[in-house]
Amino acid sequence: MPNSDELGTLPDADVVRLAQLGRESAFRELVRRYERPVFSLVFRMVRDRETAEDLAQDTFVKVLNHIDRYSPDFKFSSWLFKIANNVAIDWLRRRRLDTVSMDGSPHASTASEIEASALELEADQETALEELESRELGAAIEQAIAKLRPEYRACIMLRHVEDRSYEEIAATLDLPLGTVKTYIHRARHELRKALEPARS
Amino acid sequence: MHDRHLTADEIQQQLDDELAGVATLAPALQAHLRDCLDCQGEVAQAEALVMALAASPDFAPSAGFADRVMRDVQVFEPWYAALDRTFSPFVPASWPARIAAGVAALIGSGATVAGSWWALQRADIAVFLASIGLDEVRTQLLAAGHDLSTAVLGPGGVNTLRTVSVESMAIWTGAFVIAAGLGLVGIRAMATAADRSS
Repeated sequence: MPNSDELGTLPDADVVRLAQLGRESAFRELVRRYERPVFSLVFRMVRDRETAEDLAQDTFVKVLNHIDRYSPDFKFSSWLFKIANNVAIDWLRRRRLDTVSMDGSPHASTASEIEASALELEADQETALEELESRELGAAIEQAIAKLRPEYRACIMLRHVEDRSYEEIAATLDLPLGTVKTYIHRARHELRKALEPARS
Repeated sequence: MHDRHLTADEIQQQLDDELAGVATLAPALQAHLRDCLDCQGEVAQAEALVMALAASPDFAPSAGFADRVMRDVQVFEPWYAALDRTFSPFVPASWPARIAAGVAALIGSGATVAGSWWALQRADIAVFLASIGLDEVRTQLLAAGHDLSTAVLGPGGVNTLRTVSVESMAIWTGAFVIAAGLGLVGIRAMATAADRSS
């Protein structure tokens, strides 16, 4: 039976198999590997540390308590990110805490749907000029990410922060591949627009 | 050179192509991109954004996060894993030793099955031997009971007991049990009171 050091060298699939056999050390290893990526994803979605901790904890508890249902046909990380994204989206829906849209829902097909689905600016949203004053691209990026629609946010973070392929993101978020590409392209476009003052 | 600049979608496509190491943009647009500083600047800005995103740090949850998660996780060991864990320490490490242990286990189980079969075929002998054994046990228990009664009550008490009727015996036994029970309750109450006062 591998010890903690050896567990760290095993691929996810082997660690998950040990967790399915009831090894507590394997559960802990999975938490150790993914606590930062999962927390980061959730934190960037909900923008509140305490809430992000609770939601990340919920995510791990859901996943680990149903580890016997995991199918090795899929990547463990994709399954985990899917649950994390769902947990964060559910919370955002409940709290209606959302941010900015330039052009309404990408699913909207008529002018009235676009108008109805356009998200509202938060009252305390910082302007691009204020971001310029911060003079820190990292902080400006975080603020720009925060203003993206949640579905754009999840896609862009999985693509460029977690380095997932379009196909993996589509599987993780249960979205068509074309929709994922559209979301990522729009997210990049919005981020570029938001960051232009910080770059100039 | 192509007569127009790249659209926003084409710039995104070029960016994806560069990340994937492929070239799917139309050859005319690629030629335009090679010569157009404006379009090159657009692609460079998109690349810079992607690089900045990739450099974004992970956020860490507070200390003790894993412990808080594990407090709510039910670690369940399936029966086959428990079985394996129970017996695996007894399985020899080397293959020759495993083979020898397997042969020994086969011989042992074979002898057990053969012995059981023999005993079943001779059930009358087994019943006879068992009855002898049970008689001996019963005799020994009665003798021990008589010795204990004589030691506690004396020979006179034992003789008196023999003359007492079954009903009287039941009444006296019941009275003894009740008195002993009340005594125990009293002792426990006293011990509790002593604990509280200390």
